[in-house]
Amino acid sequence: MHAFHIHYRNTQGTLMRILTAVSRRGIEMPFVQASASGHGHRASLLLDVNTKQIGQLCRDWYAIVDVMDVSVGVPTPEMLDSAAGLAGAHPPASAGAGHNSASAAMA
Amino acid sequence: MLRGAEIFLQCLRAEDVDLVFGYPGGAIMPLYDALEGSGIRHVLTRHEQGAVFAAEGHARATGKVGVAIATSGPGATNLVTGIADAKMDSVPLVCITGQVRSALIGTDAFQETDVFGLTLSLTKWSRLVRSIDEIPSVIAEAFYWAREGRPGPVVIDIPTDFLKAKMEFAGPVKFTPKPRPSDSSAEAAFGDKLIALLQNAQRPVALIGAGAKLSGAIPQLRSLLDELNIPAFATVHGLGAVEPEAPYYLGMVGMHGTRAANMALHENDLLLVFGARLDDRVTGDPSRFAPHSKIVHFEIDPAQLDRVRSCELPVIGDLAKTIPAFHKKVRSAKLPDWSGWRAVACGDDRAELDPRGLSQPTIRFLDELFGRLTQNSVVIADVGQHQMWAAQRYRSASPRGFITSGGLGSMGFALPAAVGVQLSKPDATVLCVSGDGGFQMNIQELATVRRLNLPIKLVIIDNKYLGMVRQWQQLFYQRNYAETDLSDNPDFVEIAKAYRINAVRLNEDVMREYPVTTDTADALERFLRSPEPELLVFDCAPEANVYPMVPAGAALSEMLFEEE
Repeated sequence: MHAFHIHYRNTQGTLMRILTAVSRRGIEMPFVQASASGHGHRASLLLDVNTKQIGQLCRDWYAIVDVMDVSVGVPTPEMLDSAAGLAGAHPPASAGAGHNSASAAMA
Repeated sequence: MLRGAEIFLQCLRAEDVDLVFGYPGGAIMPLYDALEGSGIRHVLTRHEQGAVFAAEGHARATGKVGVAIATSGPGATNLVTGIADAKMDSVPLVCITGQVRSALIGTDAFQETDVFGLTLSLTKWSRLVRSIDEIPSVIAEAFYWAREGRPGPVVIDIPTDFLKAKMEFAGPVKFTPKPRPSDSSAEAAFGDKLIALLQNAQRPVALIGAGAKLSGAIPQLRSLLDELNIPAFATVHGLGAVEPEAPYYLGMVGMHGTRAANMALHENDLLLVFGARLDDRVTGDPSRFAPHSKIVHFEIDPAQLDRVRSCELPVIGDLAKTIPAFHKKVRSAKLPDWSGWRAVACGDDRAELDPRGLSQPTIRFLDELFGRLTQNSVVIADVGQHQMWAAQRYRSASPRGFITSGGLGSMGFALPAAVGVQLSKPDATVLCVSGDGGFQMNIQELATVRRLNLPIKLVIIDNKYLGMVRQWQQLFYQRNYAETDLSDNPDFVEIAKAYRINAVRLNEDVMREYPVTTDTADALERFLRSPEPELLVFDCAPEANVYPMVPAGAALSEMLFEEE
């Protein structure tokens, strides 16, 4: 797992462009967080990618007009904990609900 | 006080826009209402896809920004293929879409589509205008990003109420981008490393792509190649960048490239790439692509590096700057004698794409047509077998003389693109080569050709198949011609006549005589020199194939040739 930090200006669609660079490759995003940071915004993503994908993603992100900086690092414990927490059933079921709860609710 | 629509058009004029292509509809009506007297010529196409391809044709022929206009909902969605096409082929394009009233956005109103969201991954930049005040700055920024660096498409989505609203207008504005860390730290240092790579190379080659043209660096590139005198070849978008008569030039490379070019690309030990992204149609099997090569990649867009193969030396920056810098180093360097390698790569036994293929009537037909074109001509090819035949046989030193949808491969591109080209170059001979499948994808634009009396020369290579798909079915799917039979095509000559366009049919048998008869030669001359739009339907053998061919997943050295 690698942690990616993208510093960007929070203009229309910039965060979505950052995310679609990942989704177009069919890569899971177990952790995504975006928030104000300094003079801009920062998106942090945890991704399971190989060396070639790291290079491609970083260059694709940097090609986005309002992306200012891209860095790769070691995942924080918070990221890994969050990703592990999402490893369960998806979509999450209601407490005490049976396997067919969704279809029952829609009936 | 001016209406938003008037402000919008004044800002377009400030960006040097005098020609736009579009199709009106509900949400964009205020803009159309303000067109008269704006100084902008609007060309009505018969479908929004026709408008965006025509805008692309204008941009590709001139280097200016193409502009396409459509209404909300289906008008906007009909632009999407053209937007994707422009992204793949680095075409500067501004698409303007009307949107439902701002108060209705998100309510699933009539003809509402999230065009901003829909085109996010296809555009360099886009904006949903949020107030009339934003119009000048949004337009300035849109044109900046369409042109800047690697050119590409942008979208401006504007709610109809902002076009109707009024405000005081102080005039168009300029956009200045905010600085960010430089991409080009390699620029200063690449020269010495590159010279060292050249000095150690025994079999260097040069691959020319679209970037060389887009940068406007053709004279510098030709001068550099003349000095290096190493085997050189071009991608389909690089055609025309190198003088075809240059003794080191080997033609087109890739899936349907020449034998000489593909073999040199396979065998070299140093590959200089000038503005090409090395996509799969150029590389063949990536794991066996240029197996002995070190790669030096001249590229303006860092995102294009290392997509298929890692390069030893990236040279990031505008080729108009990096090529002269490289050339300066070359002049003062002592380089090896590569005459032995050049003799092998450019030797007679490799020089022709496929001697047997030259007897193919369609190839001879294209040779006869292309041979009659002057330098002031533009060939626009659609997508399919005819596209590859045309690319193989095109011999011109005009950098913007061959236009096609190379990256996305959009059938239906050629006819509307030819409209844009002819309007941009009224004195040029514009030759539009389509297949019978692609021609029918935007056949409605014959009405635009007729309305504007554009003297486009339209050719349909009619094999009554979706020929390229059929070729793959023949070679790789045991001749299972599933849903590629178009033998029930309409009579294209009669269709053209219904649009009041002259049309003739030519059977391929006339190309079996060499030289062609006087009658055939006269017919071709009349066709090309007519001041009117003309259609020529060339009946082609249904099972004619394009060779050489590198099968998908094969190495470039594993080309297929015409069967005995």
